[in-house]
Formats: sequence, C-alpha cells, structure tokens
Amino acid sequence: MLLRGRATLALGLPGAAAHAACPPGADDGAVISKDGLVLAYRPLAIAGEDKNAGRIPMAKHFVLELQLCDTSGVSAARLVKADATMPEHRHGMNYRPQIKPLGGGRFRVDGMMFHMAGHWELAFEVQAGKEVTRFTHDLRID
Amino acid sequence: MTCGSIDRLLYRLAFAAAFAAAWLALTAAVCAADEARDFSAAELARIAAHGPWPLASAPDPGNRVSGNAAAIRLGHDLFFDPRLSADRRVACASCHDPVQGFQDGRATARGLLTGTRNTPGLLDVRHRRWFGWDGGHDSLWSASLRPILDPREMGGNAARVARTLRGKAGLDCHYRQAFGKPPHANDPDLLVNVAKALAAWQETLVSPPTPFDRFRDALQRGEAQGVAAYPTAAVRGLRLFLGRGQCATCHAGPLFSNGEFGDIGVPFFIRPSGVDPGRQGGIKRLLASPWNLLGSYNDDATRDNATQTRFLRTEHRNFGEFKVPTLRNLKLTGPYMHNGSVATLREVVRHYSELDEDRLHTDGERILRPLRLTDAESADLVTFLESLSPASPLPPPAVPSVVAACRAP
Repeated sequence: MLLRGRATLALGLPGAAAHAACPPGADDGAVISKDGLVLAYRPLAIAGEDKNAGRIPMAKHFVLELQLCDTSGVSAARLVKADATMPEHRHGMNYRPQIKPLGGGRFRVDGMMFHMAGHWELAFEVQAGKEVTRFTHDLRID
Repeated sequence: MTCGSIDRLLYRLAFAAAFAAAWLALTAAVCAADEARDFSAAELARIAAHGPWPLASAPDPGNRVSGNAAAIRLGHDLFFDPRLSADRRVACASCHDPVQGFQDGRATARGLLTGTRNTPGLLDVRHRRWFGWDGGHDSLWSASLRPILDPREMGGNAARVARTLRGKAGLDCHYRQAFGKPPHANDPDLLVNVAKALAAWQETLVSPPTPFDRFRDALQRGEAQGVAAYPTAAVRGLRLFLGRGQCATCHAGPLFSNGEFGDIGVPFFIRPSGVDPGRQGGIKRLLASPWNLLGSYNDDATRDNATQTRFLRTEHRNFGEFKVPTLRNLKLTGPYMHNGSVATLREVVRHYSELDEDRLHTDGERILRPLRLTDAESADLVTFLESLSPASPLPPPAVPSVVAACRAP
C-alpha cells in the first residue's frame, strides 16, 4: 500500500490501543491535519495475517485505529464516520464500517475492506461541537 | 576441381547456410522468450501475489466438526448418496461431479428440475467468503444445506435425512461419532449437523499446483529452468491479464478472485420471463436465513467469523451483480458465467474484448471497457487462463477412512 505524501504505514499491534499519543508519533501511522485537528490512523494487525507485512491487505477485512489530537493535546472531538471509495470506479466498499470510541481520543473502526486493487480514498468525518471536519487520504492498494 | 567436388562444396555451403538460418531463428526465439520473461519489480510483485499455492488452511471455527475424521467420512458418503433427495435419484455429486472439478458441464444445474444458474465447482471451496453466485450463504455448511431442501434440486427434508442416516450402519455410526448422539428427525440440529459434515468433507477438496504456480514459484526462487518451462504465450497472456486487461483488479490473489461481486454485462434475464437479481437477492436471503453466521447455529461463540455478514452493506448496484469466480480449474468447469451462457474460454475472452457497455449497470463498475484484443492476444490470454488448471486430469478424490469405532468387528 502506498500513501500519498507518506511512504508506508507503521503496522500496529492490537494490544497497543490503550496508549494515547498527542501529537501522534511514528507508531500511530499516517497523519492528516486540518482546521486545527490532527488525525492519525493505522491498520491493526489481523489475526492470521503476516504481522510484518505492513500493508492493508487487498480483499480482506481489516481494522483501523485512529487518534484525534488538537493543539492542546488529546482532542475531545468524535469520529462520526469512516468510509472509503474508489473515485475512478465510482463505487465504495461493500461493507459499512462501525466506529467504537476507545477513550483518550482513540477510535477503532471495524468492518473495513478494500475489495479491489487500485486507488482508494479514505474519508473520515470528525465532529467537534456542531462543526464537522472531513478528512480524506489517498491510498493505493496492490 | 571436378564436378563432383563442386557439388559437394555447394552442398556443404547450402547445409551451412541452412544451419546458420536455423541457428539465427532459434536464437531469436530464445531471445524473444527471455525478453518475454524479463519482468519489472512491480510485475514480479503482482505475479507473486497470485500465490503461493495451495493456501494454508485452518479448521472452520463456525463448524465444530471441521477437520473431524468421522464427519469427513460421513460428509463424503452423504455427498454421493441420492437417498437424501425426494425421488432418491439426485445426490450432491449428480451436479458436483468429481471428474469435472465438481461441476456438471451443463449450462444450468439439473436436479429435480432444471435451474437457472451454472453449478459452481467445489475445488478449493473452503477458502471462499461467500457461497453461491449471489453469495446467499456465508458459510460452506449453510450453503451445503440449501440444495438438500430446495424443491428444484433435491427436495429433501429432516425426516428423509434421518431415515437415510439410520438406514446404513456406517452413516449412523459416523453421525454418532461426529455429533455424540443418534440422528433424529425431530432434532432441530439434524439438518445443520448433516450440512456441517458435508462441509467437513468438501473442505478437503484442494486443487493441486498448476503450471502457473510452478512458474510463479520458480520466478520467486530465481530458477531459470522453471521459468523457461512456462509457455511464452502464457507469459504474454499473463502480461495482458495483469496489465491492459486489468483482470487482476477483481481476479486477485492466489484464488484469482477477490471473493466479491460485480456486473460484467452478462444478461440476467431468465426465460421465459423473469430476472435474476443476483447479489441483491442473495443478500436478502442471507439476512433472512436462520443459518447465517449471526445466528445460533454458528459454532464460533465469539462470532469473529461473522465479520462479512455483520458489516454487509446493501447498494442499488447489487442488482445483477454475481460473484467473481475463481479462475483456477477453468479447464474442468465450463461452461462459464453465472448462467452458463458462455461455452468456452475463447468466448469468455471475447466477452471482455467486445464488452457491450450498454448492458452494464448504470451504478456499476466504471473501469470496464472493451479490451479490443487481437486474435493473437486473445489466444495468449486463453493460454494463460488454461495454465491456471492442473496439467493433467485429476484423480477421483480419496475415500476418507472409516473411523475405528465404526469398523465392522
């Protein structure tokens, strides 16, 4: 998997969910900033998969873990939507992800799957009060 | 110089010229073949992604008799037993013929009645995420139950299944050994247990490595001889498959399928009048089924094996989508497409080469375009597809052993 603006994602391990990291470090994966918010996400290692692969697998379910930060540290904002589309194909995923707050500005997203090779656009919506900020990030899945 | 010596000289010159021409032609062919096998790092990675084969496997957590020897033998024997059907003439093996890759060679299945879809082969079936052309099942065992009960296929029921089991000492004994109780028609678990035994046996059906697998492995290991053994036409076909054809976008990984669904413009009308809704209907059936993995018959208490069902999303484009089939064993499993409407691999390639975009779903996949292949390119692609099947006919599957407790004294 290639990220625009960032070469690779660090692959986290499932047990690492408890620690909050603001500002995000290398272990927190890809980092996107917008409107004073910082969102970091990484795929968690999946049972039965090669933990050293460091990639989002094609056509297999995976889990994302996110960290939300702002200028003061851990953000009180909520992740309210996570999804992905293939713009050139004009379709999205065949699955609807679910978000689970983990505390400390961390969220877990279950049910993700990129079922085709090619360009995917990840989209996250983060709500702080009445303000909703939309983050997008481009990925290439091979 | 005599005339005879001049003749001999001319003969030698002619021979030398012919030899040189042949050598040059051979050298050119070898160079062309070598060039054809000169892959970039990106191509090597994409080829590697279609292996290794066979895949590693683990017992199905949703089926407590997955890998159980008594269940495997029971499943095998029931698979070939026509007494499960209403007219005692249709067995699972009637449509899933072992010598045809567990397919039947017909356009559409013929059980008690003639169906509307092509019979899927069963080799490597344990690795699928969804079962059936519409993915109406999320486990091999629930997919194995449907044909037994379907009035168009076997038309069976619990009472008939119980009678069949009790009518043969070996079946009865293996059932008891696998499930720890005798088969009773009024046992609500009976049908599911039988389906789980059928699944346990089908999990053992794994296709052997193919010429492509040997090529792929040789490429990975840098073994020139193994790489050179793969036909040049197949290499050209592979390049089309990975490149201009974009076939690997969906036909991905070692199974040559992403396990999902798509609309490729195959008509979904059913004669005399009707429409096959494909994936849309499959999702409805799945979610309404008491045997899906979210239900109580799933033996995985964690339900971690139900991810695909729990997060399933329905879309308008699902109408007319059908499962992306594996491309392994295609030589054994024609005719092709969900309705068996395409007789040969050559015609399959022509379908994509001359794709009728007007047939594609308006909400569907946007990257499908006619490939406009030349005859030579089509032949190369067919040669590649054929290399995804075993090089020689498969022997009948081994009969699983009778478990010790069921051997006659």
